Amino acid sequence: MSLNVKRFVLVVLSATFLASLLFVQRMEVVRREQESARHQGAHIAVPASSEQCVSCHGENTPGVVEQWRTSTHAEAGVGCYDCHKAGPRDADGFNHYGSQIATVVTPRDCAECHPAEAGEFDASHHAKAGAILHSLDNFLAETVEGNRTPFNPHSPTPGRPDMGEVNGMASAMTGCMQCHGSKLALLDVDGASITVTELAPDEKGEPTNREVVARIQRDANGKPVFDHGTWPNTGIGRVNLDGSKGSCSACHSRHDFSPRRARQPENCGKCHLGPDHPQKEIYEESKHGIAYRDLRDRMNLDSPTWVLGEDYTAAPTCATCHMSGNVNNGGRITHDPGERISWTNRPPVSLVMDTDAEHRVITSIDPAERAAQVVDTANDKRQRMQNVCSVCHTKNYIGGFYSQYDDFVQNFNEKFAKPGQAIVASLREQKLITPTQFDEEVEWTWFYLWHHEGRRARHGASMMAPDYAHWHGMYEVAERFYMELVPQVREILEHAENNGQATAAGATRAVLEEILARPEHAWQESGPR
Amino acid sequence: MSLGAWFKERVPIDPGQLREMTNEPVPNHIKAWWWCLGGTPAYLFVVQIVTGILLAFYYEASPVTAYESVRYITDEAAFGWFLRGLHKWGATLMIAAVVLHQMRVYFTGAYRRPRELNWMIGMVLLVCTLMIGFTGYSLVYEQLSFWGATVGANIADSVPVVGGFSKELLLGGETYNDRTLSRFFMLHAAVLPGIMILLLIVHVTLIRLHGVTEFEFEKKKGAATDAEKPRFFNFFPDHAMTELIVGLVLMILLATLATALPATMGPKADPLITPEVIKPEWFFYVAFRWLKLMSATAAVLSMGFVFFLMFVWPFFDGWIRKRWPASEFSVWAGIFGVLAIVGLTVWEAAVAH
Amino acid sequence: MATQEPVPESESAGELDRRRFLAGGTTVAMAGGLAVAYGTCGAMGGRFLYPARPAARRWQFLARVDALADGQAMTWKAPTGDPIVIARRGTSGEAEDFVALSSTCPHLGCQVHWEGHRNRFFCPCHNGVFDPAGVATAGPPAQAGQALMRFPLRRVGPLLFIEVTLESLGSEA
Repeated sequence: MSLNVKRFVLVVLSATFLASLLFVQRMEVVRREQESARHQGAHIAVPASSEQCVSCHGENTPGVVEQWRTSTHAEAGVGCYDCHKAGPRDADGFNHYGSQIATVVTPRDCAECHPAEAGEFDASHHAKAGAILHSLDNFLAETVEGNRTPFNPHSPTPGRPDMGEVNGMASAMTGCMQCHGSKLALLDVDGASITVTELAPDEKGEPTNREVVARIQRDANGKPVFDHGTWPNTGIGRVNLDGSKGSCSACHSRHDFSPRRARQPENCGKCHLGPDHPQKEIYEESKHGIAYRDLRDRMNLDSPTWVLGEDYTAAPTCATCHMSGNVNNGGRITHDPGERISWTNRPPVSLVMDTDAEHRVITSIDPAERAAQVVDTANDKRQRMQNVCSVCHTKNYIGGFYSQYDDFVQNFNEKFAKPGQAIVASLREQKLITPTQFDEEVEWTWFYLWHHEGRRARHGASMMAPDYAHWHGMYEVAERFYMELVPQVREILEHAENNGQATAAGATRAVLEEILARPEHAWQESGPR
Repeated sequence: MSLGAWFKERVPIDPGQLREMTNEPVPNHIKAWWWCLGGTPAYLFVVQIVTGILLAFYYEASPVTAYESVRYITDEAAFGWFLRGLHKWGATLMIAAVVLHQMRVYFTGAYRRPRELNWMIGMVLLVCTLMIGFTGYSLVYEQLSFWGATVGANIADSVPVVGGFSKELLLGGETYNDRTLSRFFMLHAAVLPGIMILLLIVHVTLIRLHGVTEFEFEKKKGAATDAEKPRFFNFFPDHAMTELIVGLVLMILLATLATALPATMGPKADPLITPEVIKPEWFFYVAFRWLKLMSATAAVLSMGFVFFLMFVWPFFDGWIRKRWPASEFSVWAGIFGVLAIVGLTVWEAAVAH
Repeated sequence: MATQEPVPESESAGELDRRRFLAGGTTVAMAGGLAVAYGTCGAMGGRFLYPARPAARRWQFLARVDALADGQAMTWKAPTGDPIVIARRGTSGEAEDFVALSSTCPHLGCQVHWEGHRNRFFCPCHNGVFDPAGVATAGPPAQAGQALMRFPLRRVGPLLFIEVTLESLGSEA
């Protein structure tokens, strides 16, 4: 091979080598693009104040730490300590490996960074869910299904010698309170309960009754002992030790506090389902739910902002109508679902949601009084809801639907609710039934009628589920009323008349007959009108 | 004073002398490409040093961080995957080239008197190359790295007398421990390369001093046919360019292999889990298979003997040819050896156990 | 020793020129080709040594805006371990009220501390002095025209966020 040829070969080989390197360069670029796509949100750093927490709990309870790592909190540098830190005077604070922390994180803690949301939530009915339960005579769960005080077992449990006295509050503990929220209690050294009532916290959440604080039972590590009937609990209306109400974790699942999860109907469905308020089932029956199920992939659930009409339009979920922002309200979210509800279908007789300054429903029948008290009218609320509907539906369509809904509520109210309420009230007034609730059949009957079937019917109507409105709803209301309530009342009256309570019976009979004589009930006696 | 004169005063080398020293006459038969097999491993050695130094900027020789540092190189450092691929394939090609070079030297009888010492130096270089390959793979700290090192150390252990001592020296303890990896790294990146560089200098110097072996029959042929035709050609620029061509071909080959068959990462080393199949790198397959055919001690002793024989072959061969001058014994012995090595290697490669 | 193959004596001057030109041309092309090819390879090696990806910077939660009063300062440890001094000098409630400064002296890396009574940052190693904005006013850092590194701040609702690098020696990303 001559030198010239060799030189030429070298030129060719250099070019080939260069070509292979260009290919390498190309591969490197591709690799980097893939890498940066992967790395978009992946990088988080543990904030200094929580480093110790993560290093220990990363070993002991790795699930919690890993969940946190995937959260927006972690991306923003908000760590364990930022939420779990406790003030030196907090009732449930304790020293845990050098840091003062508390196990329970309340809306007061969340409000440090999320004051608007916490404020809206505090004004909502959700926050009151626990308080209602604890001020009401929660007779059913605590007495009918259990016992307010511990009672002796019928016989020992084989294999469990430790199971002695029966905790009669168990049904309320695991049932009602897990949705509504418990009244958090610590145990004092004698085993008695210490709740917010005993602690009497000030406006900063710190207890003013320092004697009670001194009596809090603590374990070997100084950690306060909870009344296990009240904790763990993330009921949405939990009554917390620092005076705040509720639990943000109820919807925003810790420790990833996922907004994505809160947008999905299954989240609300933890509590909003069942015979007495089957909102989840109703939603699933409705066209909205059908669309959601089919188009879930287009719901853009992971989007940081989730504005109907902008980030998604495929279908509405619970959050869409009741809380999330839409293009008609400037994308504004509310943590008070009550803001958009015009009828409250919770009571036996549905009420118009005119609310006063304390967000309470105005019950007065005097128009002048109503006008004086009202701060936010039912119509305003309906308007806010209609902002949502308008993203997909025309004005006439929406107007027509609301007419149907109003008619339905009024029919229930006037034909069954008010009459039933009046009859039962009269029975009680006339002492024809005992003051004790749920000890007589007619009380159960009336309970089913308004609390279960009546609510189902109204909810079904409000959220476009015909089967729940009718067959699971008004049909059962009507059956309950005509086939059970009226005959049971008649039987009570007969029994009363035969046992020396003729006057009382007569008063109630008058109420009953007056109702049944009305045209809407006249079909019974004389056939179709 | 001119720049050249200024330099000459301070570095007193006569350019004429220098030219003569470096511009060795290369026998014409070297023009055949088969003779580039010496330059090939040398070139690849340089590639390994350069890529190895670059990789060492990121590699961390601690059991806790080694795997992660290799992962960083492979996944995150710019062109890391490429440099690692070059280094991995450079190792394979270098060992293959060394073996081919040795075969060339053997079958052309270039180890014969007076070149016996150079052959022995070459044998030591071979051992160093194999050791460097072994230690290098252990550094990745994958499962096979760890278990391969453990098995290798245990084999060293089975050498009589010095076995235990050499194993402990290698591992830095009775078993693989926290200090083993840095030991391997030092051997791989400093001690063995250093030894090899020194030996290479001696190796090349001896070649230069002796001159490249001329063929007997060429000498006769040359005289009979074309007396004027030069029997030598110049190293510079003729042979140098040949070497450049070889270098470029190797680079292209390496780049292609690094891109098409990149270096991957197996599962991280777990001292508590022994993988189903433990195999060393391909260049140890022959030994691995041999070990499975008999007891460890017998295998180690027999391999040691074979190595010793190879080491002193020039003398052994010299004795044979003195006794039987026309003997082609070495050629047959060589053919048998190659077939045996290839056979055992393929056998090991073909089966899992 | 001949450096070229034997040249027939009968070649003309033109042929010789052409031969020399060819030789020269191919030499240049060869040299150029080798330089470019190996040079590219070397450049890749160099790029390899250069840090792969700039360390990720991200906005991290710092504190509530009302956590600091006007005139107060606090120390915050960044994910990299650097102590950062955050001081407030205003009451507007916006991010402009605040300044976040690295407490690492730019001269040789010692930690500075805030001297409230003298309204300055002081570095004990070589007596470097910095004004409340972090600009060096005396000592070696002032002579070099240096300042304490500032970190961007911004307000989101009632919260203050700071932009810092995320990587630290011990963190697993």
